[in-house]
Amino acid sequence: MRRYLIRRVVQAVFMLFVMSIVFFTLLHLIPGGPDAVIGANNPHITPIQRAAIRHRFGLDQPVPIQYLSWLGNALHGDFGISFSNSLPVAQELAARIPATLELFLTALGFALIMAILLGVTAAVKQYSITDYLITVLSYIGISMPVFWFALLLQELFGVQLGLLPVFGRTAADTTSFTNLEIFEDYVVHLILPAIVLSLLFIATWSRFLRSSMLEVIKQDYIRTARMKGLGARQVFFRHALRNALIPLVTVVAISFGGIAGGAIITETIFAWPGLGRLFLVAVNFPDYPTLLAYLLFGAASVIFFNLVADILYGVIDPRIRYS
Amino acid sequence: MARLLEVKDLKVQFKTREGPVHAVDGVTFHLDAGETLGIVGESGSGKSVTSLSILRLLPMPPAQLVNGTIIYQDKDLADLPESEMRAVRGREIAMIFQDPMTSLNPVLNIESQLIEPLQLHLNMSKNEARQRAIELLEAVGIPDAPRRLRAYPHQFSGGMRQRVMIAIAIAANPKLLIADEPTTALDVTVQAQILELIARLRRDLGTAVILITHDLGVVAGVTDRIIVMYAGKIAEEASTDELFANPRHPYTLGLLASIPHLDEAVTEDLQTIPGSPPDQLHPIAGCPFQPRCPFVLEKCKTYPPYMAVGPNHRAACWVDVTDPAEQERASKRGFIPFRQIRHGFAGESSPAGMSNA
Amino acid sequence: MATVQSDQLLTQFQPNEITPELARKRRSQFRIIFDRFTRNKVAVAGFVVLAVLLVAAVFAPIITGQTSTYDPPNDPNLSIALSGPIPGHPLGTDDLGRDELARMLFGGRVSLAVGILTALLTILIAVTVGSLAGYYGGWVDMVMMRVTDAFLSVPLLVVLFVLARTFSDGSVPSIVILIAAFEWPSVARVVRGEFLGLKEREFLLAARTLGANDLRLMVRHILPNAAGPIIVAATLVVGDAIITESVLSFFSFGVRPPTSSWGSMLNNSRDFISSDPLLLYLPGIAILITVLCFNLMGDGLRDALDPYMTER
Repeated sequence: MRRYLIRRVVQAVFMLFVMSIVFFTLLHLIPGGPDAVIGANNPHITPIQRAAIRHRFGLDQPVPIQYLSWLGNALHGDFGISFSNSLPVAQELAARIPATLELFLTALGFALIMAILLGVTAAVKQYSITDYLITVLSYIGISMPVFWFALLLQELFGVQLGLLPVFGRTAADTTSFTNLEIFEDYVVHLILPAIVLSLLFIATWSRFLRSSMLEVIKQDYIRTARMKGLGARQVFFRHALRNALIPLVTVVAISFGGIAGGAIITETIFAWPGLGRLFLVAVNFPDYPTLLAYLLFGAASVIFFNLVADILYGVIDPRIRYS
Repeated sequence: MARLLEVKDLKVQFKTREGPVHAVDGVTFHLDAGETLGIVGESGSGKSVTSLSILRLLPMPPAQLVNGTIIYQDKDLADLPESEMRAVRGREIAMIFQDPMTSLNPVLNIESQLIEPLQLHLNMSKNEARQRAIELLEAVGIPDAPRRLRAYPHQFSGGMRQRVMIAIAIAANPKLLIADEPTTALDVTVQAQILELIARLRRDLGTAVILITHDLGVVAGVTDRIIVMYAGKIAEEASTDELFANPRHPYTLGLLASIPHLDEAVTEDLQTIPGSPPDQLHPIAGCPFQPRCPFVLEKCKTYPPYMAVGPNHRAACWVDVTDPAEQERASKRGFIPFRQIRHGFAGESSPAGMSNA
Repeated sequence: MATVQSDQLLTQFQPNEITPELARKRRSQFRIIFDRFTRNKVAVAGFVVLAVLLVAAVFAPIITGQTSTYDPPNDPNLSIALSGPIPGHPLGTDDLGRDELARMLFGGRVSLAVGILTALLTILIAVTVGSLAGYYGGWVDMVMMRVTDAFLSVPLLVVLFVLARTFSDGSVPSIVILIAAFEWPSVARVVRGEFLGLKEREFLLAARTLGANDLRLMVRHILPNAAGPIIVAATLVVGDAIITESVLSFFSFGVRPPTSSWGSMLNNSRDFISSDPLLLYLPGIAILITVLCFNLMGDGLRDALDPYMTER
């Protein structure tokens, strides 16, 4: 187990290192790269000013040298200064993480509960109307453009019914709120974005769990459980669900890795002040130091949570022992 | 002895795209309290399906109980509501399956799997159940039981898992234990130990046992009575001694001839039954053994009546296979009159009085 | 029981040397798959709907000329902007007074073209990488699979947005290349798996002893046997690509005006939701139905190709 772990961690770090080179090179060599951005928004900039800016951001160095100095700083947690607001990139990213995490955790938690409910129901009542209905809904969930779903919900609950706020994480002014009201305010702002973000997860996970349950139900040990005289509920929840959940756990863990890209759409549409919005501003600027840091953050979370998924699998399933 | 189980004209089919497969096709037999019955046949003969239908453990669909009654004591299990059926499973009738590697839940430890029937049927508290579980593990010969209770199935060998499975099956003191090929998946040395364990538990607990196997050698020393099944039908039924001494169905002859004997010279060829198992999707008219039978006659196109051929001995065959003239005729079709069996089989029973040779 | 299973096994394990008898068998195998697919009514319905959509997209100019006052879809006519359904404009007009039906049809052209072209390009890359890795194994496999892993570790939307902002000129080909560049890795894994499984089989050994070279073995002998899973993957890629394109276009990183796709029409509709909700509903429904149909068809094909599929 330990040796396996060490090998996987070394592989992950190496992969990340290679990706940093690729991303760095890509961003610095493309047409419209950092060099072209300087002064792009300001036609009155003089060549001398331009040279000064280039020097300040280290752009007058050869790319490999630039990379090495970037890498040296990055290893100390310094990802440079944002082009758009001249603040440290690492600080900007860190400040946005709580909002995105709040949204992401809520959505994933909600999705997990719904997926277990729907997946188990569909499997237990295989080929029933309920099963077909759940299947149809999950197909629609998978095939629906998320941003469109978000617009529909915004239009229906926010505009037509006026039930829920459609923008932001809190009300504009919360100074007069009691603690309970502040909490309520957080919750109502979370509902729509969380539902939108959970849609795809619910759809894929419930289908996954359904087929995983159906696979488990065929196993000999389920027959053993029935042989003992256990009722359907015990057979399904005590004996089948535990086994069926093992592969889902890894899928859920891997989904966490999508945190960098997963919330861009939802955050933009609901004006959620998280990572996704920061990224979108950076792309449009384009703010290269922020983009580079964001790309690496995204890749790191994918790699990290894939690793977590692997390890979790071994922890949960008593049969698996890595050697 | 009191009649425990009476199965009458049981028919079980599997629905497939190509049509129904007649897995069990009109099986009738009975079992008395404390008796040990062997059901023997090759894979696909319907022996496992028969036993699984008694506890209604077949997946339905595709399986379908088309006809028949399964009277256990005074209840017809074939048409008992599922809720009452659950009170029979584990409590009245329990079952051991073929593959101990897959029959235990991999993510639950032995304790939780073993105390389930105790809590369910005997209303034991968790502590009582745990105590009893330790006794049960000791009874099936698992050393260091208190510690092993915490272990998971994958930490046991195949033989040990089958012992655990047996402990689970006998936990609630069932009156009938069905063992569906309990030794097939195990090493030869372990096989004997498991059979011995089953035999001992039967003696100690007075449980009736149905032992299902494809190997006549396995049942020889253990059972009181044997049913030989072929293509979903019963071919022959007799007490164990009578069946070995005086087999009356050509298929039984074939089975007996294919048992290896330790005392035989290695140079002798082990006999096999030529041909392949029957196609139960498209059953042929008459006796299903016709294509493989050296004794086959024209009238075999009609299914033979299930005739009494001796005391407590019945067989479904038109031919008297003990008749030397019939044997002479069959030998032209490759029938080798089977050797006498002088020294008995795996167990202590020693059939005597062989008449043909 | 036993015979049923062995029949099913037979349909899977068929060698590939083209003797007349085997050619016949193979035709019958195709027949079996076809029958299984057509028995899946939902998948067939998906196929039919897609066929209709494709025809509509291909003949968009003719259809718009027949059913509505045909203005070239990019000609603005502000006097009838956001009209809602009126005579001559059955689905109304957008904010610039352009016929919505015509825009839907021409937008569908772009969305479908992106989807299908992306799938084709994806397959091309995936088959090349996957077959080389699976066939040669060893270090070739090692390197190619690490590259594949790297692509799979990239946060998709993030990279797509960055690249679309910097590389893409907003044309259909540039978007196709962009999406395909990140769709191929998972398909390549499928192809590699198929090649790994097939390369050790007897019929290949036979072909090799008869002097077939590597390329011939890969293209003539292994590829046809791996075609099923590849086609399934391609079908699912189409749906995926259509969604991805719509996301890019919705965030203005996709096709650039005046060209429009369903995604960019949705982007455009955001400001007019209250004055004409049709503009919000129509393109979304179009994407939903198209992607749904590709997914249903893909799953239907997969089930039809799976010899172990249990009958409903």
